[in-house]
Amino acid sequence: MFAYILNRVARAVLTLIIIVSLAFVILRMSGDPAIMILGPEAPPQAVEAFRKAWGLDQPIWVQYAKYFGAVIQGDLGNSMRDGRAALEVVWERVPLTLAITVPALLLNILIGLPAGVLAALFRNTAYDRLIMMVSVIGFTVPSFVMGLTLSLLLAVWLRLLPSGGSGTVAHAVLPVVTMGIIGAAVIARFTRSAMLEVLGQPYIRTASAKGVPWSQVITRHALANAAIPTMTIIGFMVGSLVAGAVVVESVFSWPGVGRLLVTAVANRDLAVVQVILLLIGFTMVAANLAVDLLYGWVDPRMRTKTATAGA
Amino acid sequence: MSLSKRRIAYLLAGALAASTLFTTPSMAEERPNVTVAVQQIVNAGALDVLREQSNVGARVFYSIYETLIDYERQKPDLPQKPGLATEWKRIDDKTVELKLREDVKFHNGDVMTADDVVFTFSDERFGTLPEQVAAQGEGKELFTRSAVSGEGKVPPPEVAAVAARAWPNLDRVEKVDNMTVRFISKVPDPTLEGRISRYGAEILSERAYREAETWYDFARKPVGTGPYKVKEFKPDNVLVLEAHDEYWGGKPPIQELRFVVVPEIASRVNGLLSGEYDFITDVPPDQIKTVDDQDKYEVVGGPITNHRLLVFDKNNGPMQDPRIRQAMTHAIDREAIVEALWGGRTKVPAGLQWEYYGDMYIADWTVPEYDPEKARKLVQEAGYDGEPITFRVLNNYYTNQVTNAQLLAESFRQVGLNVELDMKENWQQIMDKESGPRMLRDWSNSAPFPDPVASIVNQHCQNGQQQQIGEWTNEEFNELCIKLETTVDLEVRRDTFKRMLEIAEREDPAYTVMHQNAIFYGKRADIDWHWSGLQSMDFRAGNFAVKMPSN
Repeated sequence: MFAYILNRVARAVLTLIIIVSLAFVILRMSGDPAIMILGPEAPPQAVEAFRKAWGLDQPIWVQYAKYFGAVIQGDLGNSMRDGRAALEVVWERVPLTLAITVPALLLNILIGLPAGVLAALFRNTAYDRLIMMVSVIGFTVPSFVMGLTLSLLLAVWLRLLPSGGSGTVAHAVLPVVTMGIIGAAVIARFTRSAMLEVLGQPYIRTASAKGVPWSQVITRHALANAAIPTMTIIGFMVGSLVAGAVVVESVFSWPGVGRLLVTAVANRDLAVVQVILLLIGFTMVAANLAVDLLYGWVDPRMRTKTATAGA
Repeated sequence: MSLSKRRIAYLLAGALAASTLFTTPSMAEERPNVTVAVQQIVNAGALDVLREQSNVGARVFYSIYETLIDYERQKPDLPQKPGLATEWKRIDDKTVELKLREDVKFHNGDVMTADDVVFTFSDERFGTLPEQVAAQGEGKELFTRSAVSGEGKVPPPEVAAVAARAWPNLDRVEKVDNMTVRFISKVPDPTLEGRISRYGAEILSERAYREAETWYDFARKPVGTGPYKVKEFKPDNVLVLEAHDEYWGGKPPIQELRFVVVPEIASRVNGLLSGEYDFITDVPPDQIKTVDDQDKYEVVGGPITNHRLLVFDKNNGPMQDPRIRQAMTHAIDREAIVEALWGGRTKVPAGLQWEYYGDMYIADWTVPEYDPEKARKLVQEAGYDGEPITFRVLNNYYTNQVTNAQLLAESFRQVGLNVELDMKENWQQIMDKESGPRMLRDWSNSAPFPDPVASIVNQHCQNGQQQQIGEWTNEEFNELCIKLETTVDLEVRRDTFKRMLEIAEREDPAYTVMHQNAIFYGKRADIDWHWSGLQSMDFRAGNFAVKMPSN
């Protein structure tokens, strides 16, 4: 098991190095932070001074080597926009993002799982069709359309909630509901498919034939076996908690990591972008690792496979 | 359930007490809190006028800082008026003397004196002291001052560069007495009064600057003399200002003024209509009706001191022939663009100049007339062979930019020019010389003070961006640049400026002006507030009041 985890961590580190290196090259090659930050009317002398101060006038490989050397020593660099440590700039946004992504994830699971199970159990009935219709809408409508529609309805017309911003619990409701609906739709669809596949398995028929009550067949046999694919998708969602929701945060002016990423990319504030990418990569890898370990807990067969693979 | 008289009396008394409890704070709070939703507070992440070079910064800075000479900002012709100086006079061609306003208090309670003014324009503030430059090179935030003991701040190097651009010929600012200062130029400078009034010449507190730990610390919470002081600043999120009750111009009418970043226009409009915001900025023309159709909200705004230009690179392909560029200037139906894309809410100016130039405004000058026949003839005379002309365009960095570019490309095709749109992601890609021939691009030019030096010289002469990036140059024009900057005789300057316009807009086009830019604000209709052509938002007592509801 230890070797398995070590192997996963080594792969994760390699992945992060590749992500950071690619982001460095692409962002540096495709835009000049000096012009982005100082603006198109800035005096050329100011643009040059900015470039020199931040080492942007040096060849890209020199910039990369310096950046990477500093990262290895634990220095993730400073924001070119406000001079603070990039880690500090990103870190202060993390709680704000988690304040909407964690409740949204709970909403996803609380709505998505029962809806998917219900749709599978009542396959091809009106319940199934209704749940899937709502799910398709939630799945296909772009988040900015969903967000603006909810804002129009609940903030502008009914004046029940603030249309955007942050500061109170009420401000978080619309972003959470928007992400909650979208995520729940995804989970419902996955859960339904997984349940349908499991319900068609011989062991379900066997259990039923042996007289096991249907409720027990569902809870003890079907749900446990359908949990694996659903857990995978929830694992992805957990992994993207820190990344936040770029579009939803922009629509609702929520000052989280997602919106910071948009601004930092637009301004080529490289250190900030890199810290966010590292954070996303780290949480994604950690979530995947956790899901892998959970597989073994949920399904003993996986434990055996993992042990064999790790040996 | 039946209620006894005594119980009813108790309930009424309780309700009265509760209402008193709930209403007392709001009655005591006589001034409202106001929220302004903006696309961005500042682009450069700091509240320093010598670093932030964007139009968006000008919107918030007028509440925090002030200049010695100000403008009647709500008047269309923007006349100058006393600001932190009550009067000023020319001593000679190189010198302007100003009397400072008495009892002006900074946000930290200090009274403004000549020392603060001298410091604001000092080498130390500009970051140009040799020891500062050395410290900068070593990546330090502080330096040891050689003149006096103690440490000073090291601003980012772009501060010095912006200051050098704003004050290319300033020799020094001298203290005459505690309330009198002199601005002394190295060369005769007819623009001194304009520069003293410009964005970037705001006075700051010397003590507050020195007390801040670093330049960034000061730039996050600057101390000026404006009607509102910085309470909280979170870049890309919120700027909270609170009333500076010792403001020399009277008690500010707003208790707390919040600028919140709402990047999406649809979200800004929703926020206004839901009552979340009192003002929203940057309303595009196609959203004006959505707001105006509501009884309780309205859109105000109009042309600002910024023109939209189409800029030529004369080094590549067909653009080398001035007749091709001239043809382009005649192929644009500017009035149609203003009508179709702006709903007639802005105007076509008389070239790269504004009426607020006053005596330097060339009233009989116009942009090249829309004349497709003339354009076709010029294209034929140039022997144009259909070689593609690339037009680099950003995705609506400017309002209506893409639609405008499509209209222009079609207009150029009508006169026989094969113009292809080349969508780019950012300004570096727009200006890049390596990724293919650079020919046409969009731009805008502002005039931060009322003189042609503020725009045509700053942007198109030798030190201006267009020549610095190698798009265009002209020998005669460059000689005139120097003459315009250093000659004080009005008639000579007017003639010089007119000749520069002839060269850059007609003979050897460097650019062509399309229309004056405009800014629109959505706001509560019950707030009496007037916008400014200088792009600043003024929330002083004379320009903000909540109208009482009429019965």
